[in-house]
Amino acid sequence: MSLRQLLLRLPRYLGASGPLRGPLDTISSVISCRGQSSRSPAQWNQVVSEAEKIVGYPTSFMSLRCLLSDELCNIAMQVRKLVGTQHPLLTTVRGLIHDRQNNLQLRGLVVLLISKAAGPNSVNASCQNYDMVSGIYSCQRSLAEITELIHTALLVHRGIVNLNELQSSDGPLKDMQFGNKIAILSGDFLLANACNGLALLQNTKVVELLASALMDLVQGVYYENSTLAKENRITDDIGISTWKEQTFLSHGALLAKSCQAAMELAKHDAEVQDMAFQYGKHMAMSHKINSDLLPFIKEKTGDSLTFNLNSAPVVLHQEFLGRDLWIKQIREAQEKGRLDYAKLRETIKAGKGVTSAIDLCRYHGNKALEALESFPPSEARTALENIVFAMTRFS
Amino acid sequence: MASCWWPWRWRRGCSWRPAARSPGPNSAGRAALYAPRAAAVAAAATVAVARAQMSYCNLMKSLTSAFRNMYGVSRFHHTTPVACCFSETLSGEKYTDPFKIGWRDLKGLYEDIRKELFISTAELREMSEYHFDGKGKAFRPIIVVLMARACNIHHSNARNVQASQRAIALIAEMIHTASLVHDDIIDDASSRRGKHTVNKIWGEKKAVLAGDLILSAASIALARIGNTTVISILTQVIEDLVRGEFLQLGSKENENERFAHYLEKTFKKTASLIANSCKAVSVLGCPDPAVHEIAYQYGKNVGIAFQLIDDVLDFTSCSEQMGKPTSADLKLGLATGPVLFACQQFPEMNAMIMRRFGSPGDVDRALQYVLQSDGVQQTTYLAQRYCHKAVSEISKLRPSPERDALIQLSEMVLTRDK
Repeated sequence: MSLRQLLLRLPRYLGASGPLRGPLDTISSVISCRGQSSRSPAQWNQVVSEAEKIVGYPTSFMSLRCLLSDELCNIAMQVRKLVGTQHPLLTTVRGLIHDRQNNLQLRGLVVLLISKAAGPNSVNASCQNYDMVSGIYSCQRSLAEITELIHTALLVHRGIVNLNELQSSDGPLKDMQFGNKIAILSGDFLLANACNGLALLQNTKVVELLASALMDLVQGVYYENSTLAKENRITDDIGISTWKEQTFLSHGALLAKSCQAAMELAKHDAEVQDMAFQYGKHMAMSHKINSDLLPFIKEKTGDSLTFNLNSAPVVLHQEFLGRDLWIKQIREAQEKGRLDYAKLRETIKAGKGVTSAIDLCRYHGNKALEALESFPPSEARTALENIVFAMTRFS
Repeated sequence: MASCWWPWRWRRGCSWRPAARSPGPNSAGRAALYAPRAAAVAAAATVAVARAQMSYCNLMKSLTSAFRNMYGVSRFHHTTPVACCFSETLSGEKYTDPFKIGWRDLKGLYEDIRKELFISTAELREMSEYHFDGKGKAFRPIIVVLMARACNIHHSNARNVQASQRAIALIAEMIHTASLVHDDIIDDASSRRGKHTVNKIWGEKKAVLAGDLILSAASIALARIGNTTVISILTQVIEDLVRGEFLQLGSKENENERFAHYLEKTFKKTASLIANSCKAVSVLGCPDPAVHEIAYQYGKNVGIAFQLIDDVLDFTSCSEQMGKPTSADLKLGLATGPVLFACQQFPEMNAMIMRRFGSPGDVDRALQYVLQSDGVQQTTYLAQRYCHKAVSEISKLRPSPERDALIQLSEMVLTRDK
C-alpha cells in the first residue's frame, strides 16, 4: 500500500466528531490558516505548486512518512479511539492530513528551495560524493523532512490538555487521559525519528543547530500556551518587541536554523549560512503576521471568527492605546462575561494596530528579499521571492 | 537475546517451591537449588499471607529483618549477597563502595546539568531543573564513569576520565529524566522520589514541554562532543525509549509471546540507555570493537537485571522505602516478571492479565496469587542470571578498581531495597 493510500484512509477514521471548545477553535484556526494568503487562495496555491515542481515532488505528508511502519497502525488505532471525544489531538491530526490547502508543509518546502537556490559549493569539493536530485542533495532532503518532523511533534504536544482544568462539557476524564497519552507518545515518536535522521546526517554542527532550534521552539510553545487567551481573560501586557522575541522562538527559529543547516550540509561558508538564516527568520515572521492579520483583513463576516488576543495587530493596537484604555475596550466588548469578538474586531480595525501590523509584515518581507539577493538568480530563488510576495500582499 | 532465559527451560533445573506446598505435576523429582533459605522464606510468606493475619507491609518487614542477608539492609553494609554466586570480588580485594569511587568524577554533576538547562524562561527552567536536585540515585552516571575508567585503563592504563566521557554521564541522566517526566504524565503519577511529579504541580501541558526541553538540551550537549558515532549510539536510545512505551501500550495474547514481549520492553525502556551509554564511553576511550561489545553487554545485562529487581520490589517493598507506592505496575495494568511466572502456576490469572487488571478486586487478587506463587523468586533468580552474565563480560577487561566496582555494582543491583 502506498503512503498516499494509507494516509487517505485516516480521514475516514476521523470523520465524525463533536463540536470544538472555544480555545480549540483558535488552535485549529492557526493550523488552517497556515499557507493561505489574505486574498486569493488560488494565487497562493499556484505559488506553492510551482515551487513544488522546482524541488521535484510534492512535499505534503513529509513528516508522516516515518509512520509507514507498524507504529502507524498502532497510532492510527489509538487515535481512532479518540473519535467522539473532545481531545485536541483529533483536531491536530485532522488538520495534518486533510485537504492540501490546510496541510501545506511550508518549512520543508522552503528548506528544499533554499538548498536548490544556493546550489552546490563550487569551491569545496568534499560534497562530490553526495547524490543530487533536481539540484538538491539527499542529505538536504532529509533535513527538510527532519524539520517537518520537529514542527509536527511540537504541534502534537501543543494539544495536551490540563486534566485539572477540565469541565463536564469536555466529556469523560479517561478519554482526555487517553488522548494525552497518545499525544505524548506520538510526539515523542516523531522527535525520536527526527533525532535518528539527524544522527544519519553525520554532521555534528547540523545536529547542534537543529537541537537548539528544538529548544527555542519548546520555549516558544511555552509562551504561546501561557498567553493563549481564553474568552474572558485579560491578555498579557507584552509590547511588540517582546512579542517579536517570543514569535521568533515559536515560529522563526526552526525555519531559520534549518535553512542555515541546509547550507552547512552543502559546506557553504558562514556568510551564505547567515543569509539563509536571515531569509528563514524573516519569512517565518512575515508568515506569522500574515496569518494573524487574516481575521482583520477578510471581507466576509458572517460567523464570528475568533482571534488570538496576543496576535500582532492586537499587540500593536494595545501598544498604541496604552494598557488601561485597552482593558477598558475589552470590558466594553464583553457581554455577561463572554467576549464579543466581532465588536472588538471593529474597535481594533478603527485603530492603528492593523495598518502597523501590515507594515511590520512588509518590513520582514523586505528583509527576507534582501537576504535572497546574495543568492544567484534561479527558478528556486524566484519561487522563494514569490512566497514572500504572497505573504505580504494585502490589496 | 534472551533465548537461554526461557522460563520453562531452566525451571526444570531448579525449583523454588517451598516444601510446604503439595507437589504439583511439575515439581516431582526436581532438585531444589538454594532451596533451604529461599524455601523457608517462601513457605513463611505463603502461610502468613494465606492466614491474612498480618498486614502485608508488616509481614514483609518482619521477614526482611529475619532474613537480612536475603533482602539486604543498606547497600553500604552488606557483606555477601546471598542466594547468588559471588561471595567475593574476582580480584579478591576488600569491598569498597562503587558509588564512592564513581562520585569522585561526578562532583558537580547536577550543577553542570542545570547549566545545560539555562534558559531565560524562568518557570520552564524551574520545571526542567526540578528532578536534578541531587536526590536521585545517579545510578546511570555512576556506571558510565566507572565504565569510562575501566575502558581507559584497559586500553592504555590511562588513569583519567575524558571530558567527553563525563559529558555522556550527564547526557544519560538527562535522557533518563526527560523520559521519566513524560512517563509520569502518561501514567498520571502523583509522586516520584518522594516528591510530587512535575505534571501534578504545573499541569500536563507544561510538563510535556519540560520533558522536551531536557531532551533538546541533552541533544545539544551530545552534538557538542563532536563525535558522530556517539551521536548515533545515543539517538538509538531515544528511539528505544519511545518504542518501549508503545510496547507497554499493547499486550500479547499468547503466553509464550508475553515473556519475550516483557523482556523486549524491559530492554528498550531500561537497559538500552545503560547499554548504549556504556558503549559510547568505550568508543570514546578505546578503539577496540571487542571492548565496545563488552561494555554494551555489561550495560545491557545489568540494565535488565535492574529492571527485573525493580519489578520484584513493586511486590515486596512498602511505600515508605520507595519514592512511589507499591503494586504500581498492577494498577497500571502491567504484567511484569513476578506476575508472568505466577501465571504459569495459576492459569486463572490469564483473564486478569488480558483485561489488564481492570476489574474491581483484580489488583488485590493478582497480588495474592503472586505472593503465593514463586513468581518473586523466579524473577530474582532470572535477575541473578543476567548479573552473572554482566560480570563474566566485564571480567574480560584488565583488572582495575573501577572494573571491580562495576562487578560489585551488579551485585548491589540484586540486593537493593529501594
